[in-house]
Amino acid sequence: MKWKSRGKPVAIILTVLLLLFLLFPFFVMLSTMLKPSREVYTTPPSWLPKRPQFSNLIRLWSEFDFAIYFKSSLIIALGTMALNTLLTVPAAYAVARLRFVGRKFILYLFLVIQMFSPVIVVISLFKTMAALKLLNTYYSLILANSVFTIAFTVWMMNGYFRSIPVEIEEAALIDGCTRGQTIIRIMIPIAVPGMVTTMIYSFIAAWNEFLFGLTFMQSQARLPLVLALYSFVGRYSTQWELLSAAAFVALIPVLVLFYIIEKRLVAGLAGGAVKA
Amino acid sequence: MAEASISLRQRLWNPEARLAYILLAPAVVVLLAFMFYPIVYVFAIALSKTNRISQLKGFVGLKNFIDLFSDKEFWQITVRSLYWTAIAVAVKTILGMVIALILNVKFAGRRVARMLFIIPWASAVPISSILWRWVYHPQYGLLNATLKATGIWPAPPTWLGHPLTAFTACIWVDIWIGIPFMALVFLAGMQAISEDLYESAYLDGVNWLQKFSYITLPGIRHLLMIATLLSCLWTFNDFNTIFILTRGGPAGTTDILITKIYRSAFEFQKFSPASAMAVVTFFVLTILSIVYARIYFRQEQT
Repeated sequence: MKWKSRGKPVAIILTVLLLLFLLFPFFVMLSTMLKPSREVYTTPPSWLPKRPQFSNLIRLWSEFDFAIYFKSSLIIALGTMALNTLLTVPAAYAVARLRFVGRKFILYLFLVIQMFSPVIVVISLFKTMAALKLLNTYYSLILANSVFTIAFTVWMMNGYFRSIPVEIEEAALIDGCTRGQTIIRIMIPIAVPGMVTTMIYSFIAAWNEFLFGLTFMQSQARLPLVLALYSFVGRYSTQWELLSAAAFVALIPVLVLFYIIEKRLVAGLAGGAVKA
Repeated sequence: MAEASISLRQRLWNPEARLAYILLAPAVVVLLAFMFYPIVYVFAIALSKTNRISQLKGFVGLKNFIDLFSDKEFWQITVRSLYWTAIAVAVKTILGMVIALILNVKFAGRRVARMLFIIPWASAVPISSILWRWVYHPQYGLLNATLKATGIWPAPPTWLGHPLTAFTACIWVDIWIGIPFMALVFLAGMQAISEDLYESAYLDGVNWLQKFSYITLPGIRHLLMIATLLSCLWTFNDFNTIFILTRGGPAGTTDILITKIYRSAFEFQKFSPASAMAVVTFFVLTILSIVYARIYFRQEQT
């Protein structure tokens, strides 16, 4: 069609220009990461390294204690994922499939609290964590992250359970399965793709989390990656080539995971009008 | 009467409802303990006097709120939070729309382009903010180097050093993070619009602006509303960008409510004023959230 083909070159040019503009920080990250430190701190700084080298990626593990922070983040993110799933799947099944008083209210409530800012509760949550002697432990972050992801994951999971035809479940019930058996043997296996989405979502949320980590974690030894990076900014001599390398490595897992759930995430946030 | 009460009891307490309560219990308990109880406690702090380690030292009623409302700085920050949100959401919507319109054209490589456009949203916000701090670096940052070298701006400012430029720098990072979500939602909406509409418009000799305002825009009206609302909530709540880029500085000129609450509590140990501010913010967010939830629900039902 004519009106489409005329738009094409324009669209391509605009895309390239916009991408160059919007991805500039990531270009800076890659460029800095591949420079030796003497090339980073020159005025004016150069756009590209003279000879790209990967030593910063290696120095990261030897001079930055990167492995420790990476491990912390991994424990917190996997812990959040596990706890979130344990809480989400039964709750989502209940609101998706069972009739009970207050069902609508609960769904509505979850949609509302999904938007609450952690900042509002962090003052008292800090006291709660202190009282439970959980400050400086992974548990504090696993708990806080699970609480603040659960509303959204229940919503997404509720949608997924509802997309499974009721007939499948009814057939199992008629064949003599109990509700419990139906849930465990039939519904959960079918719901695995939906569960993968919510699991990835809670993993990413925990991996990227900043505020609770900033407040609950004072010991350097258990800092999650994102906070370790932050603690290296603003020091007297910030080593930006190392920070860039660390940012690069820290971003890879979340980017890969994000692409897996991106469509479902948009659909979950914007509601039924967007098809996953 | 007896019949009605039996049926009510049955509605509340039958095997199916019982199972539902059991399945919901773990999630509800955790939410009560770590979300609702802390909210109630914030209300309690806001209505009390506190010492520097945030212990409650007696009920003072609405005194903290009265102090807050007579504090000029509070109103400054509130107004700033509002225009921070308004400007950022407007720019996100416009740029998101532009990108969606571009990606709605079927050109080779648009799937790759789509993936690349998502990166700012897919990245961890704190990490992006740290990277932006490096980009904005007055001496070694590549932003100013590029502006100078290309002659676009021969004498660029120390971005994070002055009130206005720091605010601009922060809001841009917030916008930059928020664009892809807008673009994706709008694109999804545009792709759901029937091709036939555009084709008949083409046959009628309609120009692109008419096409946009009579077909595209009405077609995504609903999504536009929900995406903007969601974006308002996220933007209003954006703690990470400002805290990491400027920590509210220079001299508190980039503070919005959400960063001010945190800094009052954890930097200045003013727990009661911080909690009073948190309560005010809580009400603002609740109202916005309820509007979002209502629109979302209405759409689910249709």
